[in-house]
Amino acid sequence: MGKVMLEVRDLKTKYVTRFHEDVYAVDGVSLKIEEGKSLGVAGESGCGKSTLALSLMGYYFPPLHYISGDILIDGKNISGLDPDVVRKTILGTEIAYIPQAAMNALNPTQKIIRFVEDVVRAHDPKARKKEIRERAEARFAELGLPRTVLDKHAVELSGGMKQRTVIAVSTILSPKVLIADEPSSALDVTSQKMVIKMMRELMDKGYIKSMLFITHELPLLYNVTDDIMVMYAGQIVEKGTAREMVFDPIQPYSHGLMGANLVPEDGMRDTKPTAIPGTPPNLKRPPKGCRFAERCRYATEECRTHSVAERPFGEGRMYRCRMSVEELREVYKDE
Amino acid sequence: MKNMFRQIFHSPKFVAGFVIFVIILLTMWLYPLINPGNPLEMIGVGTFARPGTYFSLYDAVDAPTETLRLSDADDKRIDASMSMEDRVAMVAWFEQAGVDVGDLDITDTDALLDLWRANYDSSTRLPGMTNAKRNYYKRLDRSIQSMQGADKYSVMHKDADSGEMVERSTINKTDYVNVAQVVNVKTLPLGTDNFGRDVLKELVSATKTSIVIGLIAGIVATLIGLTLGLLAGYVGGITDDIIMFITNIFTVIPSFVLLILISYSIGQEQRGASVVAIVIGLTSWTWTARSVRSQVISLRNRDHVNLSKLSGHSLVRIILTDILPYIASYVVMAFILQVSSGILAEAQLSLLGLGPKTTEVPTLGLMMNWAMLYSAHTNGSWWAYFPVILTITLISFSLNLMNTGLDQVFNPTLRD
Amino acid sequence: MKGYRKYFTKKIMWFFITLIAAVILNFILPRLMPADPVSAITGKMASGMTDASAVQEIYKRYEAEFGTNKPLIQQFFIFVKNLLHGDLGTSFSQYPRKVSNILSSAILWTIGLQLPAILVGWLLGNLLGALAAYIRKGFDKVLLPVALFLSNVPAFGMAVTMLVLFAVTLKIAPISGGYSFDMIPNFSWRFIKSVISHYQLPFWSIVLVSIGGQAIGMRSMSIYELNADYVKYARFLGIKDRKIVGYVFRNAMLPQITGLALSIGTMISGALVAEIIFSYPGLGSTMYSAITAADYPLISATTLIITIMVLIVTFVLDLVYGFIDPRVKAAQFDA
Repeated sequence: MGKVMLEVRDLKTKYVTRFHEDVYAVDGVSLKIEEGKSLGVAGESGCGKSTLALSLMGYYFPPLHYISGDILIDGKNISGLDPDVVRKTILGTEIAYIPQAAMNALNPTQKIIRFVEDVVRAHDPKARKKEIRERAEARFAELGLPRTVLDKHAVELSGGMKQRTVIAVSTILSPKVLIADEPSSALDVTSQKMVIKMMRELMDKGYIKSMLFITHELPLLYNVTDDIMVMYAGQIVEKGTAREMVFDPIQPYSHGLMGANLVPEDGMRDTKPTAIPGTPPNLKRPPKGCRFAERCRYATEECRTHSVAERPFGEGRMYRCRMSVEELREVYKDE
Repeated sequence: MKNMFRQIFHSPKFVAGFVIFVIILLTMWLYPLINPGNPLEMIGVGTFARPGTYFSLYDAVDAPTETLRLSDADDKRIDASMSMEDRVAMVAWFEQAGVDVGDLDITDTDALLDLWRANYDSSTRLPGMTNAKRNYYKRLDRSIQSMQGADKYSVMHKDADSGEMVERSTINKTDYVNVAQVVNVKTLPLGTDNFGRDVLKELVSATKTSIVIGLIAGIVATLIGLTLGLLAGYVGGITDDIIMFITNIFTVIPSFVLLILISYSIGQEQRGASVVAIVIGLTSWTWTARSVRSQVISLRNRDHVNLSKLSGHSLVRIILTDILPYIASYVVMAFILQVSSGILAEAQLSLLGLGPKTTEVPTLGLMMNWAMLYSAHTNGSWWAYFPVILTITLISFSLNLMNTGLDQVFNPTLRD
Repeated sequence: MKGYRKYFTKKIMWFFITLIAAVILNFILPRLMPADPVSAITGKMASGMTDASAVQEIYKRYEAEFGTNKPLIQQFFIFVKNLLHGDLGTSFSQYPRKVSNILSSAILWTIGLQLPAILVGWLLGNLLGALAAYIRKGFDKVLLPVALFLSNVPAFGMAVTMLVLFAVTLKIAPISGGYSFDMIPNFSWRFIKSVISHYQLPFWSIVLVSIGGQAIGMRSMSIYELNADYVKYARFLGIKDRKIVGYVFRNAMLPQITGLALSIGTMISGALVAEIIFSYPGLGSTMYSAITAADYPLISATTLIITIMVLIVTFVLDLVYGFIDPRVKAAQFDA
C-alpha cells in the first residue's frame, strides 16, 4: 500500500446564501487517495461535488464556510491553518485546482507567462523571471504545448488550448494532489481526449502524485481514474474501484446513475444528466432519513425516518443503503 | 407581467426614483391649484425680491394695532440700523479715549452699546479729534438714543380738496399689527426673479414644460430609434448596413452640436417649446437604434420567431407579437434616459441663448438663462437659480435611479 | 502585424468618413432650414439702421461671405476649399477679424481646461468605483447614491454652485475669466499665477461632474470582474488578493476607455456650457457670444471645430483601446 497523499476525515462545509441561510453542501465526507492513484467523484449537478473540490483546498472565502473535519496532505493536516499560511505554502504547491470553466479561468488581459510568474512568485517571491520562463518552457514542451503559448493572451487561445494551458499552469509547481473539476466537460471529443491524456502524463511523469477527478459522467471515469465514488446530496453513497463501480454498482442511486448514462439517447444527456425521476433534496433542510429515499424505487417507510451510515463490503468498497448487498443484487436481477 | 411589476417595485433604487418623480409630478399638478394664475405675470417692479412674506405697508396702517412691550425690540432696531462703518467708528473712539475694548466683537451689538453707554460723553474732547469728527459722534449718539426713546411716526394724508397735509394716525414703537389682519399679504417662498415674477410659480410651470419637452424628445427619439433598430436588426443585409452606417456617424458626431446648428437655423421666432423638443428628439435616437438592433438580432432566430415566420404571419405581426414584447424593457429604459437627457439638452441650449421662444412659457433652461443674464449668481440671489439646478438634478436623478433599478431587474448579472 | 494594419486602416477610414459627414452636415443643416439663416442675420444686422446703403453693404458682405447667389453644390466646394486653407470666414461681430484668428486662442483655452479635467475626472471616478466595488459594505452604500446624484448635476449647475460657493461667498477664487482682466497674456510669473487661480473652479467643476458617471460604470464593471472565474482560479493558485485586485482593476478599467470615448461628446458639450458660467475664454464662451451677436460664420466654425475635436478624441481613444486591450485585439484583428 502506497503512501497516502490526500486523506479527508468527516469534512463538513456550508454555503451561506444572500439571505443568511445555511446550505450544507458537503456533509461528512471521508476519503483517501494513495500516491500514484486517482479518485473519481461522480454525481448530478448540485450534489456537492464541486463544493467538495473547493472545500478540499482548505482556503475558504464567502459564501463557502468551513464547519469541521480534517484534510491531510501527505500526512500534514491543513484544516485549521491560518488562511495566509495555506495560501503561501499549500495552494499550488501541495494541492492544485483545475476549475470547471477553463474558458474563463485565465485573466483575459494577461500574458500566460506573466500569470505563471505571479503563480511562482506567490510562493517564492525571489524567483527570477528568467528561471521561471525556462521552467515554464520546459514543462510546456514536455506536456506537448507549444512554447509560443506563453507569450499569448488567454483570449488568443482556442478552447482546448486554454484548458491544457490551465492544466499546465496549475501543475507548474508539481503539487502532491490535483483537484480537477470537470476539466473536460465543455470541450469537444478530441479536446477531451487530449485533456485526459495530459492528466495521465502528469501522473506518469510524477508532476502530480495523486488526483481527484470530478465529473457528472460516471462512465468517463472508467477510463481515467483508479477508484470512483458517487456523491448524492452532500454525502458519499458508494465507493469502489472504477471497474466495480461501472459494472457492479450496488447502491440504488449509483446503480441508476450508471444505467442512465449507459443509455445515451439523443437529447437525454443534454437536458438531464440522469434519468432518475425527481430532484435532490433541499440541503438547507436535509431530510432526516436516507437522503435518496424520496427518489428511490425501493424505499420503505423506514428509509424516510432512519438515516443510514456508510457500510463497508467487499475489498475496500463502501455503500450507503439500508438493504444488504445481496438484497440489492437480487432486486436488480429482477429488472 | 404582474410578477414583473412586483419585482420592479422590490428594487429599492427604482422605488426611490419613482417616489421622487411622483412627488415632482404631484407638485406640478397640485401647486397651480393653490396658486393659480399666469406664471409669467410680472408682479414685482424691481428685480430679485428676497423669498419671504410680503404685506402691504399701506394696508397695515389701517389694520388694528395691539401694543406689545418687547424688551429686546430697541436692541434689535439698533442692531438692524447700525452700519458697519458706525461700529468701526465707535471702536475707533474707544481706542482714542483709551477705553479697553478687550476682545470685543463688533457685530455683538449688545456688548458694543453697553461699552458705548458706559464711556461716551459728548462733552469730552479727545485730543487730536476734529470738530467734524466730534459732531459725527454726537449725531451717532443721538440716533442711538432716539431709537430707544419714545419717538413716533406720523402718517400724513394729503387732503384732496384743500391740498393740506392732515395727520391721519401715528405709529408708536410698540404698535404691532397681526399679519392675518392685513388685507394684502403675499408669500413668495422663492422670491421673485429679475423680471419681478414669482419664482416658485414660475418654477412649477417651468418644470412641467421641461418634463413635457423631455417626454416629446424621448418619444421622438424612441420612435426613430425603435423603427431603425427593428429594420436594421430584423431585415438585415444592405438595409442593416445603411442604417448602421448612418447610426455610427451620428453616434460620433456630438448631438449637441447638431442641436445648436439646427436650433440656430430655425430662428428665434419659430422656436416654440415643442419645436425644440422635436429637434432634441431628432438628434438623440442613436442609442435606442443600436440597442434595439442588437437585441433584435439575438431574437431573430429564436424558435418562436421562426415558428411565427413558418406560420406565414406578416412582418408587422411578427414584430408586434414576437419581438417587441422581448425588447420592451430595453426600449423603456432607453426612453427614460432620453427624457432625462432631453431635459438637460433644453437647459443647455437655453443657456447658450438658443432655448424656446421666451414669451410663452418658462422652461427650466430659460429660468437659468435669465438668472445668469441678470447675474443672480454674483449678486446673491440664490433663489433665482439654485432651485432650478436642484429641480433639474432631482428629475434626472430620479429617472436615472428608476433606470438603474430596472436594469438590475432585467439584467440579473448586474445584481449585487 | 497584418492584423494591426488592417485594424488601423479601418479606423482611419472610418474617421475620415465621419469627418466628411460632419463637414457636410455643418454646411447643409443651416441651409436646409425653411427660414434662410443668412437673410435672417442680415435682417438682424440691419435692424435699427436707417441708411439704406449700409444695409446694402451688409448684403454685399454676406454675399461675398457665403456666395449664396451660386448653386448649393458650388457653394459647398468653395466652403471646403476655404476650409482646407484654414479659412473659416470673417466674423460679423468682430469685423474684420478672421474667424480662424478668434478661434485659435479659444481652442487652446478649451483644450487646456477640458482635456486634463475630463482625464482627472475619469481617473478619480474609476478609482472610487473600483474602491466601492472592492470595499462594498458601508462605503459603497454612501458612495453610490452620492455618485449617482453627482453624476446627475448638470455641468452648468455644478459650475454655478462652485462659483457661488468659492468665488462669491468664500472669495477664495476669482469669479470669471481665464486670467485677471487687467493683464495681457504673456509668459510672466504673475500672469501664469493668475491663469492657475482662474483655472481652479472650472477645472474642479468639470472633474466633479465627470467623476460620478465614471464611478458608477467602474463599480458595476468591477463587481462583474470580481465574480469572474479567473479571480477564483488565481486565488486557488495562492496568488495574493492584492495582486488579484490589480487584475480586476485593469480588466474593468480598460472597457472604461470605450465608455469615455462614447460619452466624450456629452461631456464636452456640458463642459462648454460650464465655460460660459465662468466666462472662460474658450470655445463655449466664444459660441455664446457668437450666438448673442448673431455672428453666423463664427457659430458655424465653432460647431465644426467642436465636432472635429470630439472626432479626434474618439478616434485616439479607440486606437489606444485597441492597442492595450488584448480582448479587442483578438476580436477585431481576426475579423
